[in-house]
Amino acid sequence: MDDYHVTADDIFWKISRATVSRDQYTVINRTSSSVTFLNIPLINVLLTCNIRMFGQINRSVYGIRIISGLPPEKPENLSCIVNEEKKMMCQWDLGRETHLETNYTLKSEWATEKFEDCKAKRDTPTSCTVNYPPVYFVNIEVWVEAENALGKVASDHINFDPIDKVKFNPPHILSVNNSKELSSILKLTWSDSRFRSFITLKYDIQYRTKDASTWNQVPPEDTSSTRSSFTVQDLKPFTEYVFRIRCMKEDGKGFWSDWSEEASGITYEDRPSKAPSFWYKIEPSHAHGTRSVQLKWKTLPPFEANGKILDYEVTLTRWKSRLQNYTVQDTKLTVNLTNDRYVATLTARNTVGRSDASVLTIPAWDFQATHPVTDLKAFPKDNVLWVEWTAPSEPVNRYILEWCVLSDKSPCIPDWQQEDGTVHRTYLRGNLVESKCYLITVTPVYADGPGSPEHIKAYLKQAAPSKGPTVRTKKVGKNEAVLEWDQLPVDVQNGFIRNYTIFYRTVIGNETAVNVDSSHTEYTLSSLTSDTLYMVRMAAYTDEGGKDGPEFTFTTPKFAQGEIEAIVVPVCLAFLLTTLLGVLFCFNKRDLIKKHIWPNVPDPSKSHIAQWSPHTPPRHFNSKDQMYPDGNFTDVSVVEIEANDKKPFPEDLKSLDLFKKEKVNTEGHSSGIGGSSCMSSSRPSISSSDENESAQNTSSTVQYSTVVHSGYRHQVPSVQVFSRSESTQPLLDSEERPEDLQLVDNVDGSDGILPRQRYFKQNCSQHETSPDISHFERSQQVSSVNEEDFVRLKQQQISDHISQPYGSGKMKMFQEVPAVDAFGPGIEGQVERFETVGMEAVVDEGMPKSYLPQTVRRGGYMPQ
Amino acid sequence: MQAQSMQRTLLSLVLRLLLLCMVATGKCSGKYHELLLQLQRQADLMQNPSTLLDPYIHLQGLHSPILKGSCMERLGDFPSEDVLWRLSRQDFLWTLNTTLGLFLRMLSALQQDLPKAAQQQAEMNIRGLGNNIHCMAQLLRGSSDPEAAEPTRPGPGPTPPPPSLPMLPLDTFKRKLRICEFLQGYHRFMRRAGQVLRGWGERQGRNRRHSPLRGLQRAAQRTWPFPGLRRLAPQGQLPR
Repeated sequence: MDDYHVTADDIFWKISRATVSRDQYTVINRTSSSVTFLNIPLINVLLTCNIRMFGQINRSVYGIRIISGLPPEKPENLSCIVNEEKKMMCQWDLGRETHLETNYTLKSEWATEKFEDCKAKRDTPTSCTVNYPPVYFVNIEVWVEAENALGKVASDHINFDPIDKVKFNPPHILSVNNSKELSSILKLTWSDSRFRSFITLKYDIQYRTKDASTWNQVPPEDTSSTRSSFTVQDLKPFTEYVFRIRCMKEDGKGFWSDWSEEASGITYEDRPSKAPSFWYKIEPSHAHGTRSVQLKWKTLPPFEANGKILDYEVTLTRWKSRLQNYTVQDTKLTVNLTNDRYVATLTARNTVGRSDASVLTIPAWDFQATHPVTDLKAFPKDNVLWVEWTAPSEPVNRYILEWCVLSDKSPCIPDWQQEDGTVHRTYLRGNLVESKCYLITVTPVYADGPGSPEHIKAYLKQAAPSKGPTVRTKKVGKNEAVLEWDQLPVDVQNGFIRNYTIFYRTVIGNETAVNVDSSHTEYTLSSLTSDTLYMVRMAAYTDEGGKDGPEFTFTTPKFAQGEIEAIVVPVCLAFLLTTLLGVLFCFNKRDLIKKHIWPNVPDPSKSHIAQWSPHTPPRHFNSKDQMYPDGNFTDVSVVEIEANDKKPFPEDLKSLDLFKKEKVNTEGHSSGIGGSSCMSSSRPSISSSDENESAQNTSSTVQYSTVVHSGYRHQVPSVQVFSRSESTQPLLDSEERPEDLQLVDNVDGSDGILPRQRYFKQNCSQHETSPDISHFERSQQVSSVNEEDFVRLKQQQISDHISQPYGSGKMKMFQEVPAVDAFGPGIEGQVERFETVGMEAVVDEGMPKSYLPQTVRRGGYMPQ
Repeated sequence: MQAQSMQRTLLSLVLRLLLLCMVATGKCSGKYHELLLQLQRQADLMQNPSTLLDPYIHLQGLHSPILKGSCMERLGDFPSEDVLWRLSRQDFLWTLNTTLGLFLRMLSALQQDLPKAAQQQAEMNIRGLGNNIHCMAQLLRGSSDPEAAEPTRPGPGPTPPPPSLPMLPLDTFKRKLRICEFLQGYHRFMRRAGQVLRGWGERQGRNRRHSPLRGLQRAAQRTWPFPGLRRLAPQGQLPR
């Protein structure tokens, strides 16, 4: 200290690098300082002594490691055990944790000597096994000493004879023997400890049947003394029993030995204690008057068979006369019986004797079963299926319970059991499985035969269905859908279906669930949205849970059924009505409409052509002259009157013929009939009154063509337009009879035979093979017409030709007529028909006769 | 004869003195009947040939019936039953203690001939028996019961001389047989001792009024029953 020029005041202490408060310092002298710790929180700490030199330099001058702990507590609960033929082991409780290395030593001594100490191992400080063999019948004193750096303490001494702490070796069962005289006993013999000759032992014997799990106890007072055998009584015949035994000192000091190894023995046989269960089944038989009866019985359980069943004896009796005996080793017998009533008895035999007889009445074929059980119930409990019923009022000998698994895939193979007549509740003693539907039948058996069976379904244990129902739509409406599904097959039900739940949702909507009773197979979803996709699935629930079926989607229609019809039909009707009204209106106002649409066309009947007749030619042409003052002759109608040689022409027509010839010579082109503004190319026809009459009776259509040469009204046509009209105007006789025309063709140019008569030169058929001079002339005239107009005309003609099938016949008819190749020979196969309305040569009802084209109606030109 | 008798008497006195002077470290049971019962059961246990003779016969291959028949106790190896019956309790305890002490020496000499476990167990049993003899001697010494000084069965007879260790022949087979005879004699001796001890109980039952327990608490002397034998765990005081 002097070297560093420090005093005790410069000393400071650190513990685990932390400076200790100076309150704990004590200055011993000028160079010494001490520190006091009242409580050291850490078990293992480093304490250093430090000095401060020159008031600022700290230096550690010494350090020690402080290990803190507690002195050992007195060991408690010292006890020892001596396993036979092994060394003594003692154990104790340590007490509190010392945090120090503590040694535990087991000490032992006799009165005359002391044994070697037994030091407990570090990993097992609470026990120690001495290294000397135990010496029985000598008191030994034992104690434990615990010692560490802070002290040493000993437990209480215990003094005992090791024989009082012994745990004997378990006895060894030598044999388990039965007795022929008594089938209910087994004698157990064993060997046990060598001490048994001079100390008293007591035993603990337990036994059970082989298949049982619980042990039966032999009364302790029967085995409270040393012995080497014991006979167990009240056992079941022909039953295998398992035994075990242990021992200890009779005074209760020490420990029970471990249980011996198990040994088993079988009691001797006894006669069967019970008659076998007996039942029958009538099988279909083809023989008349007989029945095939299968008698069946159950093997007796071991506790009733009391031995090995060698065979069964069946006796059949009819009308109190013994019929036949059968000795069977199987458990069934099929016999053919008559339709009479039979009584069958059954006994089982083992090496000791026979059982009581089981009697069964097989009723006659016409026996009517009655008196069934009532209130039949079946329910699972304790992993078995219980069946309960109310007994009939009639005394019942016994009950037959039959059951089978209901399945769609396999047939019902029944199992059965028999119960006494006093029983009204039992459980099915078969190998029942869970999640299977069992059909249980209870049949009471009376003295005269079986009663009516009662049935019930039950499950040993239900489960959720293994498959969900498949839902589908039966009908989908605008706001509702009828769903339907099939009942789940029994194989997948796994329980009683309690209810269904239908889940449906739209793509974006929440799912809605609807519970449906299990008896239903269809359900109507209402309040649906139209034109929406719905997803629906269905779950079936048993008591143990449910299972979803596959999802099904459907879309509700936009309109309800009949809604479209309800809209369309009225609309159509309205349209039709409107149209009808319009037609009626037009019909009624046709004149007015006509006036607005078609101007009044001069009535041909009032035309001046009527003055063309030889009687009035000047007027006509005068008129023409007036209309065309420039001298252009634009409207010339040529009427060819087909004359019938058999009928003389009228006078006026004769004059017309003359006029015709004259016109032909003066004019190069033809014109149609018409007024001043149009030239009709229609082919007027002249018929006699008979022919006219005949024509009036026909409904053939006559086409009228008009060549509008000078334009309509004030319009100037660019080309010569042929306008065609159709009318129901009766055909002229010559048109009705083409042969006449043929005849005309043949005599073309032979006026003497049959004067060829052309009503309109433009009305011609294109017939290259029959060139006609007049046609040639007309073609020369027409060639001056604009070619474009010619094409349009051709198209119109073709169109008319196509649109007039009826006219095609006419066309054919006119093919025989020599046609002027007015439009050039390049158009082959096309037939041009410029038909005119037949002219009424005869004027009816006071109308002047005219050869002009006729309208359908008098007084006007009916547009077509 | 007189000289021999005197010699034995002196030896007996010396051994008796040694017995009484043995040092005990632990507490003896103060219950006479309990101690007597322990002595009887120890004798019963030790008389069982399965504890020593049978393992020896099995180890030495002497388990043929003929050999077993020849393996009989030789007279003189151990005190006879008659002698034991005529000894007083204290003399009986002394004789028993002396005889077993010699046998213990013999066991040590026969370590190579005996199964180790059997030899160790037998040695421990004999030492345990010596412990109980010591305790019983203490009880009897402190007892005022006059029967303690009386023979179990009255009758004339000198105190038997302490048995001597047998001279083992050099011939191996004869040596085996001799050891067998000696071991056989040991088991028979223990059986006889047990019978005598049971006689103590019977006599005690007949004379219950003379309970030896009355003076047992006064016994305080420390004794060691086996002179010349080393203790397993020597304490502060050595045998005197």
